[in-house]
Amino acid sequence: MGLFEEMQQAIIDGKAPVVKELTEKALSQGVKPGDIFPQVIIPAMNEVGRRMRDCEFFIPEVLIAARASRAATDILRPLLVGDDVARPAGTVVCCTIKGDLHDIGKNIVAMMLESSGFRIVDLGVDASPEKIVAAVREHRANLIAMSALLTTTMVNMKAAIEALDAAGLRGQVRVMVGGAPVTESWARLIGADGYGKDAPAAVELARSLIAA
Amino acid sequence: MNGRERILAMLEGRPADSLPFMPITMMFAADHASVKYHEYATDFQVQAEAQLRVAEDYDFDYVSVISDPACEAADCGACVKYFPDQPPALDEANALLADKRKLSTLKPPDPATSRRMHNRLQALALLKQRAQKEKLVEGWVEGPCAEAADLRGINNLMLDFYDDPGFVRGLLEFVLDLGLAFGKAQAAVGAEMIGIGDAAASLVGPKFYEQFVWPCEKRLADGLRAAGARPRLHICGNTRPILAKMGEMGCDVVDLDSLAPMAQGRSEMGPDQILLGNIDPVRVLRNGTPESVYEAVAECHRGAGDRFIVGAGCEVPRDTPAENVRAMARYAREHPVS
Repeated sequence: MGLFEEMQQAIIDGKAPVVKELTEKALSQGVKPGDIFPQVIIPAMNEVGRRMRDCEFFIPEVLIAARASRAATDILRPLLVGDDVARPAGTVVCCTIKGDLHDIGKNIVAMMLESSGFRIVDLGVDASPEKIVAAVREHRANLIAMSALLTTTMVNMKAAIEALDAAGLRGQVRVMVGGAPVTESWARLIGADGYGKDAPAAVELARSLIAA
Repeated sequence: MNGRERILAMLEGRPADSLPFMPITMMFAADHASVKYHEYATDFQVQAEAQLRVAEDYDFDYVSVISDPACEAADCGACVKYFPDQPPALDEANALLADKRKLSTLKPPDPATSRRMHNRLQALALLKQRAQKEKLVEGWVEGPCAEAADLRGINNLMLDFYDDPGFVRGLLEFVLDLGLAFGKAQAAVGAEMIGIGDAAASLVGPKFYEQFVWPCEKRLADGLRAAGARPRLHICGNTRPILAKMGEMGCDVVDLDSLAPMAQGRSEMGPDQILLGNIDPVRVLRNGTPESVYEAVAECHRGAGDRFIVGAGCEVPRDTPAENVRAMARYAREHPVS
């Protein structure tokens, strides 16, 4: 098994210390930091997403894999400042919507997006429309990923989109929504740009929205 | 037959004039009674009155004290956020067991003297008195995995399964003791059935479910039965990978959420298990029509066979049209059990 394959496997297996050690080893052997994202981290997390979709992986496995990938990205990011190859695929503001404290789904989406090359601005839980607008403006985000677990809180997604409109930011940012009660038709109704039924779908959606 | 007789007939394998109808209602019940959810979740008189009213008006066969996941955790001292008109929720950023070392000093609260658990006991006693023998009175406890997540924080707990399995076992023992004490107290004030709500159990996958969660759920279910209450297992989410184990627990009723097809539940749990559910609460029940709801219940019935109780996959959402809930009731009443 080559070094890159070994690193991919360590990420998939959630072995953060091994990933750290192998990343340092790769760098000491002259591997370019910019090669590790596309050749190791992104394919490994794609495989994690596939296994999750196919019910081979569940939440604990996804979380330890994401943590392991972060062991590599924490080393690589400082080395990649200013490197065009390593420019983020996009900047995503992630949050659960105002009134909603249920964040595990949002966290997994954020980690999968980060491992897929996106820059994440995580607003945590209970994010008000004003907070979302401010974050989009401050970080020049081009994507928002909003989550709600309750039918009572998902209505606040609409308020957030209206606030983006009112702030004149709607044209520069795409909005994706998800969460147990959220549906494709709800996304259309409130004027969102897309609905992700799970974390792997959210990553695919984010890529397609950025490419569009 | 009245509602209680109908449910007991199903549980005991006797014929009944119709399928039992046992949808979970919380915010729907509060709205129906024109009360704010905060009052519903924290004032036993408000909850009991609302349950009696919604059960009467929509022809439910039971009343229940289920309200929110934070009841036991709040009495343990967890940080809970309360909202005027939606369920209380745990504040994971300030989880009670964010520091695992606190577990060794944590004492399980006494249900008889703790604020929220005692409130639930009072709701049960009042429902028992008011529902007479017309409706079955159901208690509710948080399941072991869900309660562990409530205390530790769900994100932390999911990592703990790999990082510190010994801690997970210790935590599950703590919450099992808590659930047993609460369940026994509920049985003592008249709960004939007790729901075990273990939402987080569907997230951990079959390996950890079998190794860690299932044995605790089983001990909880056995303990509730020994106390005189019939256990009902309710795990939200996609339970397809753990259906067979859920069926091995011996609960009187197993709920299926809408992500787990009834037919699969039947094939994996065998012909005798009573299955409850499982139309999609949002996409079908809330957003559908009476006709689509009726047909969706029929499909569940076909998948489950006769050992079947009509309900949704999870809570009837707030804002569900009244005629859609009535369509579920109509299906139940039009189908006798032989």
